Amino acid sequence: MSAALRLALLLILAGCIYLFLAQPYWFPVGASLQAAAIDHQFKIAFWVLGGMFVAGHLVLVFVLAKKTHAGGKPLRGGWKLEVTWTVAITAIFFWLHVSGNHLSLHAKTVMRVGSLQEIEVTGAQFEWYFRYPGADGTFGRTSAQKFARPDEGNPLGIDPADPAGRDDIVSSSLVVPIGQPVVLRLKAQDVIHSLFIPAMRFKQDAVPGMDIRTSFTPDKMGTYEIVCSQLCGIGHYRMRAAMRVVTEEEFEVWLGNQQKAVAQGEQ
Amino acid sequence: MPIIGDRVEIERKPKLGGGGPGKIGHRRGFGGGDDDHNRPGDFQSREQRMRRYRIGMTLCIISVTAIFILLTVVYVFRQGNGRYDEDTHRYIRDWIPLTLPYMQLWANSILLLISSVTLELARRAMARKEEFAAMGIVPPRMKRDIPWLGLTVLLGFCFLAGQILVWNNLRHQGAFLEPNPSKSLFYIITGTHAVHLVGGLIVLLYAVAGRLLAAKFESQRIAVEVTGWYWHYLAFLWFGIFALVHFAKG
Amino acid sequence: MMHRVFSIDHKVIGKQYFFLSLAAVLAGAWLSLLMRIHLVWPKAAIPFFGEIKPENYLAYLTMHGTLMVFFVLSLVPQSGFGTYFLPLQLGASRMALPRLSALGFWTALISFCILISAFFVPGGPSGAGWTQYPPLSALAAAGPGQGLGTDLWFISIGLFCLSSLMSALSFLVTTLKYRAPGMTWMRMPLTCWTWFVTSILILLAFSILLVALSMLMLDRHAGTSFFIPSGLLVSGKAVDHAGGDPLLWQHLFWFFGHPEVYIAILPAMGVTSHLLSVFARKPVFGYKAMVGAILAIGGLGFMVWGHHMFVSGMNPHAGFAFSTLTTAIAVPSAIKTFNWVATLFGGKIRYNTPLLFSVGFVSLFITGGLTGPILAQPALDAYLHDTYFVIAHFHLIMAMAGVFAIFSATYFWFPKMFGRMMNERLGRMHFWITLFGAYATFMPMHLLGIAGHPRRYSDLTGVQYVAAMAPLQKFITVAAIVTIFGQIIFLVNLFWSMRRGPAAEANPWECTTLEWTLPSPTPAEDFGEKQPLVNHGPYEYDISGAEKDFTMQDAPAS
Repeated sequence: MSAALRLALLLILAGCIYLFLAQPYWFPVGASLQAAAIDHQFKIAFWVLGGMFVAGHLVLVFVLAKKTHAGGKPLRGGWKLEVTWTVAITAIFFWLHVSGNHLSLHAKTVMRVGSLQEIEVTGAQFEWYFRYPGADGTFGRTSAQKFARPDEGNPLGIDPADPAGRDDIVSSSLVVPIGQPVVLRLKAQDVIHSLFIPAMRFKQDAVPGMDIRTSFTPDKMGTYEIVCSQLCGIGHYRMRAAMRVVTEEEFEVWLGNQQKAVAQGEQ
Repeated sequence: MPIIGDRVEIERKPKLGGGGPGKIGHRRGFGGGDDDHNRPGDFQSREQRMRRYRIGMTLCIISVTAIFILLTVVYVFRQGNGRYDEDTHRYIRDWIPLTLPYMQLWANSILLLISSVTLELARRAMARKEEFAAMGIVPPRMKRDIPWLGLTVLLGFCFLAGQILVWNNLRHQGAFLEPNPSKSLFYIITGTHAVHLVGGLIVLLYAVAGRLLAAKFESQRIAVEVTGWYWHYLAFLWFGIFALVHFAKG
Repeated sequence: MMHRVFSIDHKVIGKQYFFLSLAAVLAGAWLSLLMRIHLVWPKAAIPFFGEIKPENYLAYLTMHGTLMVFFVLSLVPQSGFGTYFLPLQLGASRMALPRLSALGFWTALISFCILISAFFVPGGPSGAGWTQYPPLSALAAAGPGQGLGTDLWFISIGLFCLSSLMSALSFLVTTLKYRAPGMTWMRMPLTCWTWFVTSILILLAFSILLVALSMLMLDRHAGTSFFIPSGLLVSGKAVDHAGGDPLLWQHLFWFFGHPEVYIAILPAMGVTSHLLSVFARKPVFGYKAMVGAILAIGGLGFMVWGHHMFVSGMNPHAGFAFSTLTTAIAVPSAIKTFNWVATLFGGKIRYNTPLLFSVGFVSLFITGGLTGPILAQPALDAYLHDTYFVIAHFHLIMAMAGVFAIFSATYFWFPKMFGRMMNERLGRMHFWITLFGAYATFMPMHLLGIAGHPRRYSDLTGVQYVAAMAPLQKFITVAAIVTIFGQIIFLVNLFWSMRRGPAAEANPWECTTLEWTLPSPTPAEDFGEKQPLVNHGPYEYDISGAEKDFTMQDAPAS
C-alpha cells in the first residue's frame, strides 16, 4: 500500500507539473505597463511556490518510503528543526510579500497625477457605460433616479439642466489612446459590479455610493474584452464590453465623431 | 529506589510535550480537570452546577462584549466618515446628529440601575434561604418577604417600555422616516441591548414563576445567581451605550 | 421513542449532526453536479430532472456554497465528531451543558429545513452567492431569488449562528471544567485543542455574523440603511434608502468569514495530527509547536479579513496591512505542515484507510496552501480575485482538505460510533477515486483563473476568451462527475458496515486516547462510575522495550 500511495502522489505530481509547464491556458497577452510588472511578479511567485509544491510532495513521498531500522530512534521532536523551518519559511513568504507589494501601491500613486482626462465607468445591471467629459473637460451632474432613461439614450441620468453635461459622450465601449495613463472613475447604479480587463491586468469593483479612481497605462494596440467579475445578478455573465486601444490620432478622430453625434442629438 | 531516580533524569530532558513517553506521574487533584471530579458522588453537586453555569455565563458575556465592541466601532467610524463628492469637490457628511430625548433616557437608566440593585437583594435573600435549606431547616418567615425578584422583572419591563418610547420619539423626530445612518445605528445598538435584556428577563421570569413550573429551588437560585452577573453587565453596558450616543452624537 | 430522538446524550447528538451533514453534503454535491453539467452542456437533460435553466444556476451556486460551508465543513468536524468525542477524549461522561447541545442540534436542523425550503418558494432560493453582498442581497428588486428566497436564507443562517453559539458554549465549558483528573492542558489530544480553539472562534465570529445578518434584514424590511447607499436605481425603480455603505457589510461579513474558514479547517487539522501519529505509531512531532500554531492561527484569523477585499475599493494602505498579516498567518500553517511530515518520518506506518485520507489531507493542504501567498499579494490578487484561481485555492485547501479529514475521521471513529468496522477494500477504492478526482477537478481550475476566467458565470459562450476554455471546462466536469459518483462507494460502505460490518474490538487501531478504553460501540453511560485517571500524554507510541508499542492515557504511572 505504501508503494501505491507513493506512486499515486508521484503521478499527481507529474500531472500537475505537466499541466503547469504545458500551460494550455495562461495569461492573455499583456497590453499595459502594469501587465509586465504583474506577470513578472507572478512568475517569481509561481517558480518559488511551485518549487515548494514539488519539493513538499517529494519529501512526503520520501518520508513514506523511509523504513525504520530496528532500534533506531525515530524523530520525536526538536526545537532546532522546528525553529529553522519556521525562520526559513517566514523569510521566503515575507520576501515574496515585500517584493510584490510595491506594485499595488504604485498603481494608486499614478492616479494622483491630476490633469489627466478621466473616463467615468458606470456599471448597471447588466451593462457597462463609459462616459467622456467632452470638450469642456467636465462631467455633467447625474441622477440616475431622476433622469435615467436607457431607452432614450440617457442611461446614466445626466441632468439635462446642467450645461456641463450637454457635451458628455456616453459610449458602450472603452476607447483609449495608447501610451497614456487612463484614469477611470468607477461608479455603479444599482449593485456592486467589477470591471475586469484581463489584458490590462486590471480589476476594480464599482461600488454604488462610491466613486473610485484608479488607473492603468495601455501600451499595445488592439481590441480587448471587458467583463464583470463581481456577481451582480442573473445577467452577470453577459455584462461585457469591448476596449479599444488606438493611436492618439485615431482617438481624436473617434472623439470628434462622437462629439458630432452628441451635438446632432442635441438639435 | 534507584529506578525512580533514573526516571526523573529522563524526564528532565527538554521535551516538546504531549508526545514522548515518560511523564511525571500525576498527583491526584493536581491540574487537569476540575477538582470536584475527585468526588464522583458529588458529580452533580450544587456548587458544580453553579460553577458550570457561571463559566457559561462568562463566555456569553465575552461574546456579547464582542458584539458591542463591533457596533461601537461601526458607530464611531460611520459617524466620522463622510464621502468626498468628486463633482462638487466637497466633503459630504451625511450623518444627521440625533436630538436625544435625555429625560426619557435618564429615566430608563435609573430604572435599570434600580433593577440591578433589586436583583442583587433578591440574590442575597435566596442565598440566605438556601443556607437554611442546607441545614435542613424550613426558613422561618422573617418579617415580610419582599418580592425583590418580581420587582426586578417589573423594572425590567418598565425599562423596555421606556426604550420603546425613546424609539418612538426618535421616529417622529426630524424628517419623518427619513433613513439616516445615525438613527439606524442608534436603533441597532439600543435594540441589540434590549434583545439581550429580554433574554435575561425570560430567565428571571422562569425564576419568578418557578413554583408554578415546579422547578427546584436550587435551579431557581442558580438562575438568579447567574443572571445576576449578566444583568449587572447589561446595566453597565447601557451606560456605555448612553455615553457613546451622547459623546459621539456628531 | 421520543426519548431517543430528543436525547441529551452527546453520543446521540453527535450522530444526529453526522447524519444532518451527510444529508447536506449529498444535496450540496448534487447541486455542484448540476452546475458543472450546466456549464459545459447547457442543453443536457438530466434524468428525472430535465434541463437546468440558466436562472437556476445562481441559486444552485448560492445553495451549494451555503450548504457546504455551513452545514458540512463547519458542522461535522466540530459539532459532529466534536460533540461525540470531546467528552470521551477528556474523560468526561457528558457535555457540561447537554440540553444546550441538544438545543443546538435541533436549531441547526430547523435552520437546514428553512434553507432547503427556499427551493419551493416563488423566485427560488437566493442567487447572491454565499457571501450575500448588498445591495444585491438587500433589494428584492435586484433579481428573481432576492425576495422570499433571500429572506429564508437570512433566517436560516441566523438560526445556524444561534445553533453554533449554543454548541460552542457547551464545548468550552466542557473543556474548561470536565477534564478528567490528570488531563492537563498539555495532555489533551490535539483534536480537543482544535475543538476548543474553534469554539472560541465560533463564539466571537458567529455572534458578529448574527448582528450583521440582523442589520441586513432591517435594511430589507424596516427601512434602515446600513448597507444601501442613496440614489440607487434598480430594475428601473428608484430605491429610497440613503446613507448606507456596501463595504460595511463586506467588512462585517469577512470579519466573520475568515475565522469561519479556520472554524472549518482547524478541527480537520486536529484530526489529521491525531491520526498521523496513531498510524505512524509515533508521537506527534512537536506537540507544543502544534498547540502554539493552533492558537496563532486562531488569533491571527481575526485580523486578516481584509484580504478578501483588495479590489473592493478599500484603502490601498489597509490592503498592505492585511496582506502582511495574511502572510503572517501562512507561517503557523507551514509549521503544522512541517510537523505532519516530520510525524510520518521514520514511523512504522500502518496503511489503513484513515491514514490514506490523512496523507491526502497533507498533500491537498500543501497544494492548496501554496497558492495562498500568491493571493495574499494585492497586485496579483487584483488580477486573480473572483476568478477560477480562487475557486481552485479554497476548494483544495478548505473544501477538499476538510472533506478528506472528515472521511479519515469517519473511517477512524466508525468502530467506536457504530461498533463495527468499515470495509478496508472499499475504503481504499474510495480513497483512490477521491484523491485523483480532487486533483483532476481543481488543479486545472488554476489555469482557468490565470487565463482570467471569472467565477459565477452561468454561461460560458458569451465572452470569447472564456469560450475558448471550453475543452478544459469539459475535462473538469467529467472529473467532477466521476469523483461525485465515486462517493457512492463511501455511502455503500457506510450503510453496509453499519449493519453488516465485522464487530469492532474496544481498541482496533491501538490508540492511546480515552475513548478507546471503552468497549465499541460506546456504552450509553460512557465511563459511568469509573472516572478515568490520566497519567500519560496522548501520543505515547513506540515505547522501546514495552510489550505493546503504546501506552493508554489512563494506564497506571509506571
